[in-house]
Amino acid sequence: MKSNTFGWILLAPTIVVLFFFGVLPFLYVVYVSFHQWNPFAANPYMIYNGAGNFRQIVFDGAFLASLGVTVAFVFFAVLTEVIVGYLLAQAFMSDFPGKAFFRTIHTLPLIIAPIIVGSIWKLMTTPSIGIIPHLLQSSVGFDLNIGQSAAAAFIITIIMDVWHWTPLVTLTLIAALVSLPPDPFEQAQIDGAGKWQIFWHITLPMIAPAVMATVFIRLMDALRIVDEVLMLTGGGPGSATRYIGVHIFREVFPRTNYGYGSAISVVVLYLTIVACWLLYTGMLAPRKPRKS
Amino acid sequence: MASKMENIDKPIDILDDANAPPIAEKSGFLPIETNWFDRLFISVVIWVAMSLLWFRFIEPLGLSIWISNVIALALAAFIIAKG
Repeated sequence: MKSNTFGWILLAPTIVVLFFFGVLPFLYVVYVSFHQWNPFAANPYMIYNGAGNFRQIVFDGAFLASLGVTVAFVFFAVLTEVIVGYLLAQAFMSDFPGKAFFRTIHTLPLIIAPIIVGSIWKLMTTPSIGIIPHLLQSSVGFDLNIGQSAAAAFIITIIMDVWHWTPLVTLTLIAALVSLPPDPFEQAQIDGAGKWQIFWHITLPMIAPAVMATVFIRLMDALRIVDEVLMLTGGGPGSATRYIGVHIFREVFPRTNYGYGSAISVVVLYLTIVACWLLYTGMLAPRKPRKS
Repeated sequence: MASKMENIDKPIDILDDANAPPIAEKSGFLPIETNWFDRLFISVVIWVAMSLLWFRFIEPLGLSIWISNVIALALAAFIIAKG
């Protein structure tokens, strides 16, 4: 049997599952995005709308505001997660008492369902019963109320996301750091390179593919955050934490505006793909040799 | 022994599939190495971005979206051929 045929046979189940549960629903969403469809309206059938939904999106102030806060949220959350994740990975590379215990504890948030994470943080940040407002009030006199302060709600959602997903970044970067060969580091030390120079010129370029893969995963996840935020703030106060996923949820389910919600989903998917592609092109794609 | 040493000098790349069709990398005006699918992808990305921006800024002035589509199609042909 040809190796190609055998490869296709092995891949076939995955391709079939992906086609029915990934590609078909995606094509259906694209199809719906070109229609007006409210199954609970007087006319419950799909009405072809051309590019009407997309025309509406670019003038939709709520969508554009939601996109703005989502971009800010993704930027701060993913950047913090990568920096903190790298520092923790470096810490876990060295030996210290209780390392295995701390590594297990630090990984626990990963196994908690997002809706539960939202509940935990809601309990911790609710004024009068939450531990965080209590500690902030008693230590620095700060009155934390995420139901009233837009900035506080925004920052708490970022902290919650960092708390939940930094362990994933740490685990990925530990795997990358463990696989690095020791020779370049020894040679750099012999040549008198400092810690910063070793990090910048050796460690970072060698773990760049792992970092980028992690950033892609986190970028895609952070862009479609819904349940944690819905549970913690409900998208408020006002629209301070009405991230794009929450916006789509509100558009599709309470308002049953399936066509418009699908169009927003398609635009968000487009933006996600473009963001990942730009990152890949900027950081990893092979450059053409310069003509001299 | 000599033949074995030869094999060690030229290790087999397990990711290299001899039966796979070669991907033609091209050197056009784009700053990165691309194959035809990359250039098609770039063209689609530009087409969607152009359409959304056209809806927002140009269409209210009275110019149809079909003008944007024609420009995007011409641009796609140029990128795929010369990119």
